[in-house]
Amino acid sequence: MARMKFLCDAERCIDCNSCVTACNNEHDVPWGINRRHVVTLRDGESGEKSISVACMHCTDAPCAAVCPVDCFYFTPEGIVLHDKDLCIGCGYCFYACPFGAPQFPEENSFAARGKMDKCTFCAGGPPPDGSVEEYKLYGRNRIAEGKLPLCAEMCATKALLGGDGDVVSDIYIQRVTKRGGRPDTWGWNTAYNFKTDKEKK
Amino acid sequence: MLVISDPYPTHMAVMSDRKNDTYLLPTSTQYETSGTATASNRALQWRDKTIEPVFESKPDHVILYLLAKKLGFEKEMFKNIKVTNDEPLIEDVLREINRGAWTIGYTGQSPERLKMHAKYRGTFNPLTLKAEGGPCKGDYYGLPWPCWGKPEMKHPGTPILYDPSKAVAEGGLVFRAAWGADHNGVSLLAADGIYSKGSDIKTGYPEFTSDILKKLGWWDELTPEEKKAAEGRNWKTDLSGGIQRVVIKHGCAPFGNGRARCNVWEYPDPIPVHREPLYTPRFDLVKKYPTYPDRKAFWRLPTRYQSIQEVDHSKKYPLVFTSGRLVEYEGGGAEERSDPWLAKLRPEMFAEINPKDAADAGIFNGQYIWLEGAEGGRIKVRAVITPRVGPGTVFTPFHFGGWFQGKDLYVKYPEDTAPYVRGEACNTATTYGYDSVTQMQETKATLCRITPA
Repeated sequence: MARMKFLCDAERCIDCNSCVTACNNEHDVPWGINRRHVVTLRDGESGEKSISVACMHCTDAPCAAVCPVDCFYFTPEGIVLHDKDLCIGCGYCFYACPFGAPQFPEENSFAARGKMDKCTFCAGGPPPDGSVEEYKLYGRNRIAEGKLPLCAEMCATKALLGGDGDVVSDIYIQRVTKRGGRPDTWGWNTAYNFKTDKEKK
Repeated sequence: MLVISDPYPTHMAVMSDRKNDTYLLPTSTQYETSGTATASNRALQWRDKTIEPVFESKPDHVILYLLAKKLGFEKEMFKNIKVTNDEPLIEDVLREINRGAWTIGYTGQSPERLKMHAKYRGTFNPLTLKAEGGPCKGDYYGLPWPCWGKPEMKHPGTPILYDPSKAVAEGGLVFRAAWGADHNGVSLLAADGIYSKGSDIKTGYPEFTSDILKKLGWWDELTPEEKKAAEGRNWKTDLSGGIQRVVIKHGCAPFGNGRARCNVWEYPDPIPVHREPLYTPRFDLVKKYPTYPDRKAFWRLPTRYQSIQEVDHSKKYPLVFTSGRLVEYEGGGAEERSDPWLAKLRPEMFAEINPKDAADAGIFNGQYIWLEGAEGGRIKVRAVITPRVGPGTVFTPFHFGGWFQGKDLYVKYPEDTAPYVRGEACNTATTYGYDSVTQMQETKATLCRITPA
């Protein structure tokens, strides 16, 4: 099995927000937090495109690189998770993230942000799989139940794909082959095609 | 007396200042009862109850039974339906529909067949909707109507209307002969050579009656009991289903083989013509494209057309005002605005305004505006400035409620029942006007003006 990946097919996304709603409901996240967003470009003009964005679970995650307390960790499937017991809410990850994924539930006059919250690829966090504590802090752990992220499962047009990166690629390649045009794996270069400085040269 | 039967209090529930004779009936959602749901592809799907009705809410069929009981005719109304503890048996309700709805072929979808489909839904091909094998073999998922004849006939349902490439018994169909055999000397039946696969009649034919069956020599294929029930009847009044059974055996469609018409001769406009709306932004076009004269009695009601259109409203109300749907909503929106996750997506009522019109009116994105309809109804909403609407057009969704002309009616909801999101109902600002055939209200084409609030 390859690593887990998200792919949003902008040719199919219809800006219905089912992914956002499914996520909110599954993980019972408070108002003000959106682990997933639908971003619409050229709204109302010709060439309008929408895309659903959450944490992409990057290969070399910038959030993990900048975290001063090293609260991030990686599952064997390549999912990027974090430990809210370690998180100090500094917000560095928010500045580092190219996708705007980290969310902060509260803000007071001294700019203390509270513990960071983000998409877990429906894989929970450090507490035991499926425990009440895990659900409270990180939401449902569907991966431990052998299920895929609910946002992608609920997507009516199957624009949002989430799962084994090889399978996701296969589905997408079939689509592009059938419909023609150029492939547009939005976000994949940033998230998954990490090259070291040496390799770039 | 006003009774509102809904899972949540609607806009209507808080609009009046009545102190008496107003009731809110908490009605269960679909999750709190079982039964069938019919989709827009004409397929029926059995659904199971997932939770018991919460609090004191009751499902629709229980409410109807209790109402009939109170009015004293529950014995007649439910004489074919088993009732246990004031709850009519849903399966019996469907069986009653099966026995009566011959005109559209709502007859073959028995609860047993639909439950079987639900149980074996994995055996249906998601593209063709057909079960390739298994206990439902040959059926189309949900038996889309027309599902001809009695359930025992095992018609597979009709997945595509008017597909003559298949036999009627296998879900094929021809166009319904719905308007008689001819009109003004022109035949309305299908031309020679137009028929569905396997049809014994190779040309157009009218709907089937007992007389036609006799003429064709098919009458004796009915059983004696069927003959008794079918004598002097047609395919939709023969409650034995015998006419349908025999006709389909001969590859024919019970409702005839006709052709579509583009001239609806009984309508005010047999072929649609352009008529300016009653409240038109182009008053100069009214002379060329006038509406209908006022009607004294239209479905018994006096209905105005011309007397409204002949006044020019476009000077005072220069913008077209239209309303429509948001993807996550259905109807008045009381349910969706009471759901925390859907409410969160659009926390306020808004109007979409083109950047040009916003600039002309001095309105900034996100500010409150007054939108005044051409009859003076005013709504206070947030401005969303966007090229989604063209210059000269203002759009609002129709799913909001709980505000009236700038005032939040929160205090009028019973405690803890107000939706999370409340806003102006757009039809506070829409205007008079009714369709010339159906009398459907005009909510899509009127005028407004906008000012910063």
